[in-house]
Amino acid sequence: MRVFFAVTFVVLIGLSLLAWSIRPNVAEPGKTALTWVSDDNPARREQISLFNRLHKDLTLRLDPNNTGMEKVIVQSLAGVGPDLFDCYDTFQLSAYVKSGIAWDVTDELAKLGLDPAKQTWKAVQADSIYEGRAYGFGNNVGADAVWFNKSIFDREGIPYPKGPWRWPEFIKLAQRLTHRDANGRATQFGFMCEWWQWLHFVYQFGGRVYSEDGTRCVVDSPETVAAVQLLYDLIYKYKVMPSPVEEAAMATQGGWGSGTITRFGADKGAMALGGRWWLCTLRDYKGLRLGVVECPYSVKRVFRGYGKGTLINKNSPHRQEALKFLIYQAGRDYNQLISDQADALGPVVKFAYEPRYLMNPKHPEEDYNVVWRDALERATPDQYSPFINGQVALRLLNKQLDLVKNNQKTAKEAMRDAALQLNREIARGLEQDPELARRYRETTGRTAPGGAQ
Amino acid sequence: MTGKLRPGEARNRRDTVAALFFLLPNFLGFVIFTSGPVIFSLAASFTNWNLQQTVPFRWVGFGNYGRLLADPEFHLYAVNTAYFLLGMPLAIAGSLCLAMMLSQKLKGIVIYRTLFYLPSFTSGVALMILWKALYNPDFGPVNAMIDWVTHSLHLSIAAPQWLLSTQNVLGLDVEKVGFAAKQLGIGARDAIIIMGIWTAVGGNNMLLYLAALTNVPQELSEAAELDGAGPWQVFRNVTWPQLAPTTFFIVVMSFIGGLQGGFEQARVMTAGGPAGTTTTLAYHIYTKAFEEFQIGYASAASWVLFALVFAATAINWKFGNREVSY
Repeated sequence: MRVFFAVTFVVLIGLSLLAWSIRPNVAEPGKTALTWVSDDNPARREQISLFNRLHKDLTLRLDPNNTGMEKVIVQSLAGVGPDLFDCYDTFQLSAYVKSGIAWDVTDELAKLGLDPAKQTWKAVQADSIYEGRAYGFGNNVGADAVWFNKSIFDREGIPYPKGPWRWPEFIKLAQRLTHRDANGRATQFGFMCEWWQWLHFVYQFGGRVYSEDGTRCVVDSPETVAAVQLLYDLIYKYKVMPSPVEEAAMATQGGWGSGTITRFGADKGAMALGGRWWLCTLRDYKGLRLGVVECPYSVKRVFRGYGKGTLINKNSPHRQEALKFLIYQAGRDYNQLISDQADALGPVVKFAYEPRYLMNPKHPEEDYNVVWRDALERATPDQYSPFINGQVALRLLNKQLDLVKNNQKTAKEAMRDAALQLNREIARGLEQDPELARRYRETTGRTAPGGAQ
Repeated sequence: MTGKLRPGEARNRRDTVAALFFLLPNFLGFVIFTSGPVIFSLAASFTNWNLQQTVPFRWVGFGNYGRLLADPEFHLYAVNTAYFLLGMPLAIAGSLCLAMMLSQKLKGIVIYRTLFYLPSFTSGVALMILWKALYNPDFGPVNAMIDWVTHSLHLSIAAPQWLLSTQNVLGLDVEKVGFAAKQLGIGARDAIIIMGIWTAVGGNNMLLYLAALTNVPQELSEAAELDGAGPWQVFRNVTWPQLAPTTFFIVVMSFIGGLQGGFEQARVMTAGGPAGTTTTLAYHIYTKAFEEFQIGYASAASWVLFALVFAATAINWKFGNREVSY
C-alpha cells in the first residue's frame, strides 16, 4: 500500500511538472502581455486588435470573465489583478481609488500633453477623474435618445418624429403606435425603456438624487417623484410601455445586447430609449430601418450622460506599458474606430466634430449621428455622494423602484422611503468613519444630519 | 533501559510517519482553504474591515453583531430564509412516497429511478433557467395550465405573477417583519419553494430512503400482515419507525441546507428581488461582502448564520432524536 501511495505521489508530481512545462505562453516571445478586464462586447476585440497592430511590442488580451468591481478589487489587492480595467461611474472610481488599486496617472498624462478634464466629454470624466486627479482615460461615452423603427412609422402612415419635443406630444404618438389584440395583449408597444434608465427622467424633471454637496439624499423632492411617476404612468396609465409581466413575456435570456434591444430589434416596439451603442447589435438585424430623435423633455432639456473609463492597476508590473493603452484611447485611430463601430462615441470631444464622425462610408444609412452628439452636449453625468456606499444606495433605490414598478407603492411613498433609508445610511456612515465625519463637518458646518452646529 | 526501539515499535513509528506524510497534503489543504478562512472570518467579524479602506482598520468588538441584530434588513432576510424552509416537509414526504413507489420490484424500475434522480445531476443553473421560463406569467406553461383550468371552470381567478410578485401565501410584508393583507397571494418566494420541492423529491433524500427501505426487515412486515394489519398500519407501525434514523438524518441535513441556501436561486433567477423578497441570509452575506465590501459586517453575519444552523441542529438533535430507535 505504501508503495502504491509513493508511486501515486511521484506520478502526481511528475504530471504537475509536465503541466507547468507545457503551459501556454501568455505573450509571444519578446512581447509584454497586458490583460484588460472589460465586457465581451463584439466591438471590443476589434479595439484590441487595432491596439496590438499599433504596438508591436505588446499583446493585449481581453478578460471578460473577471468583470465586476468586487473581483477586480480583490484580485488586484491579492496581486493577481488585471493590468487594465473598466470603471462605469464615480462610485466605482471612488471605490477603486480608496481600495488603493487605481494608479494616479495625472502627472504621467500631463507629461504626454494629455488632460482628460479638457479633452474628454464631461459625461465620461466621472469615470476617470476623482477629486481633481486622473486615474484613467475615457473609453467610450454616450447619452440616450429615442430610436424609432422607420418601417413601423411608414406602415402606419405616421411622419417621423422630430426634436426637440415634449412628453405630452410623445405620449400621444406612442399611444397611436401601441396595439393590442382582442385579449388586451400588446402586439406592438409604442415605447420601450428599462427602469434602470430612471435617472434620465429625473434629471430632465430638474430632480436630483443627492443635494449639491452630496450630504443628503433628495429623491423625495417633487421633481424626482414626478419623474418616477411618469415612468409609472407610461406603463399603467398611458399603457404605451411594457409592464414587468409583459416584459417577462417577451424576455430573452441575459447576455450582452439582450433585453430591450432585442425586443426593439424584433419589431416589438415602435420607439425605444437607448444609446448609439445599440447599433453594435442592431446592425445585425437585416431589414431593420432605424431613425433617431432627441428624447422628449420635461422641465430641462438635459439627458443622462454615461460612459466608461479605463484605469490602470496600481499593482500591475506593467504600468508603463498599460499607459500606452490610455494614450491609444486619446488618439484619432481609437476614436474613429469607436465611431465606426458605433460603440457609443469616442471619449475625445474634438473627434466627434470631424466630418468622418457624421458619415461612416460603410453605413451611409446612419444619417443621425449628429443627434447623439447633440444629446451628449446636453448630457449630465450621474450624481455621486461621497457620504454613502454607492452599492448600498443602488440596492435601496432599486428596491423602492421595484415596489413602484410592481404597483405596490406610489412613486411618492417609494421615494419618501428611499430618501429616509439613504439618509439613515449616510448618518450611519458618519458615525463609523471619522474621515467622512470630518469632511461632512467641513462641508455643512454640522456634525451630523440635522445635528448641532 | 536502552535508547533503542524494539522492532515492532520502530515499524509502528515508521508507519505513523508515513501515514502523516501522506495525510499532509490533504491536511494542509484543509488548513489553508477551510479552517484557516473560517478562523480568519471569526477574527474579521470583530473588525470594521472594509475593502474600500475608507475607514482606518480597527477592532470593534461585538459592534458588527450588535448592528446586524438591530438591522431590519437582516431580520427580513432571516424571515425569507425561514420561509423557504416551509417547503422542507413536503419535499421530505415527497421523497419518501417516491422511494416507496420506486422500491417496488417492477420491470424497468432502474430507468424510473434514474429519471427521477435526473434533476440532481443536471446543472442547477440550467434547471433554474428552465423554471424561469416555466414561470413566465404570460406565456409560461404553468400559467397556461392555470388559465386553462380556471377558464374551463368559469372561475375569474388571475394566475400568479410568480417571480415578478412580492406576494406570498402567508402574507408576509415586504419592508418589515410582519403581515400585510395586500401581500397575500402567490409570488416569487413560493415559486422558488415549488422549484425546490421538485428538485429535492427525486434527489439524495429519495436515495437515502430507498436504501433505508431495503433494510426494513421483511419478516416484521409479514408478521404484521399475518396479525391482520392493513398496508397503512404496516407503514405506520413497522416501516415508519424503521425509517426514523434516516428521516432524522434527512431532517437535520435539510435544515442545515435550507438555512444556508437560496444563493443560486437569487443569483440566477431573481437577483434577490422583487424588492428583496427572495434574498436569503446567504445571498445577503454575499452582497454585503462582495458588492458593498463590508467584510467585517458580512463575517459577523456569517457567524450568526452559523449559530442559527448550530442551534437548529442542536434542537433537532435534542428533540428529534427521542423518537429515533437505532
